[in-house]
Amino acid sequence: MQYFRYLPFFSLDSGLRRNDNKDREAVKNFYTALDRMPCNVTNQGMATESATNTIGVNPEGEWFGYKRTTPQKKTELVLDVFHSVARKYDLMNDLMSGGAHRLWKDRLIRMIRPRDTMKFLDVAGGTGDIAFRLHKATGGRAPITVCDINPSMLKVGEARAIDRGILHNLDWVEGNAEKLPFPDATFDVYTIAFGLRNVARIDNALKEACRVLKPGGRFFCLEFSHVDNPLLAKAYDAYSERVIPKIGKAVASDADSYQYLVESIRKFPRRANLGKRLVAAGFKGAKVSTLSFGIVAIHMAWK
Amino acid sequence: MAVDPKLLELLVCPLTKTPLRFEQAKGELVSDAAGLAFPIRDGVPVMIVSEARSLEEAERRK
Repeated sequence: MQYFRYLPFFSLDSGLRRNDNKDREAVKNFYTALDRMPCNVTNQGMATESATNTIGVNPEGEWFGYKRTTPQKKTELVLDVFHSVARKYDLMNDLMSGGAHRLWKDRLIRMIRPRDTMKFLDVAGGTGDIAFRLHKATGGRAPITVCDINPSMLKVGEARAIDRGILHNLDWVEGNAEKLPFPDATFDVYTIAFGLRNVARIDNALKEACRVLKPGGRFFCLEFSHVDNPLLAKAYDAYSERVIPKIGKAVASDADSYQYLVESIRKFPRRANLGKRLVAAGFKGAKVSTLSFGIVAIHMAWK
Repeated sequence: MAVDPKLLELLVCPLTKTPLRFEQAKGELVSDAAGLAFPIRDGVPVMIVSEARSLEEAERRK
């Protein structure tokens, strides 16, 4: 395992300290700015006019990859994408990331430090990758709820759970991250891994996340991010533009869905921006860790 | 397929965040506040507004 560290792609937390600091700095500056602001931004968050200058509300709803759309339409289009890729989803993740997605997810679990006294909600976690890890880490003693908008992805997850003999303390719910069917202050940990990018109205989803968390509960988002080193960014762009849709076509006979994947990654907010929007949604202590040179990032915050 | 009763207790209406009533006969979760019935498919509660059925006048409980 340690040899992975010598391969740039696998080196999970080296290199980017400087950029990490830059993001932290940006988030810190934002807090300072918030503190100095006269009033309503922290209280009313995204809804106020004054907040919209710096923090747009749900701008991602207007885009499906590079195509203009509406939030409703985006939700439908994303549903189609994941209906289409569900059965090959896990295989594709392995192929496209060279297996690195497993390490990213393991890293997420280590950061959560799950305890069996906690209640977990995994949103957009249809195929169960995060839920199974949480289940294992808590010895199967902590209740875990998986909520995904897509029934095809949930079917894959349920079948995998049965294969693994996981029958207890794991529930599956079809639901929308923007309108969660759970009461206020229910969960200790909210996770969303490679899911937030596909949510039409990200700010609504963040607010819902904050609502369902108990006071002191923690939010974790594992998501593709942005490579800051210009040389590496070039290589990564070339890989994602030329190679990923081809793998998608060859393995899943679906170049379009993987084209969307690439475009949606580029459209996902920068780290500092997401940090600000977490604060605007009601979270405190927003922090971010970059992995693999910023190819992915883990955003954390607490209620 | 049976649904875990503990899960049913956990769920609320995604629109109004109010408690739901389980209609065993139809296998639906009813939100009286929103006037919607959410289906349960293959044991999975489908808590999506666009998938829910609007309640008939007679089914509403107030």
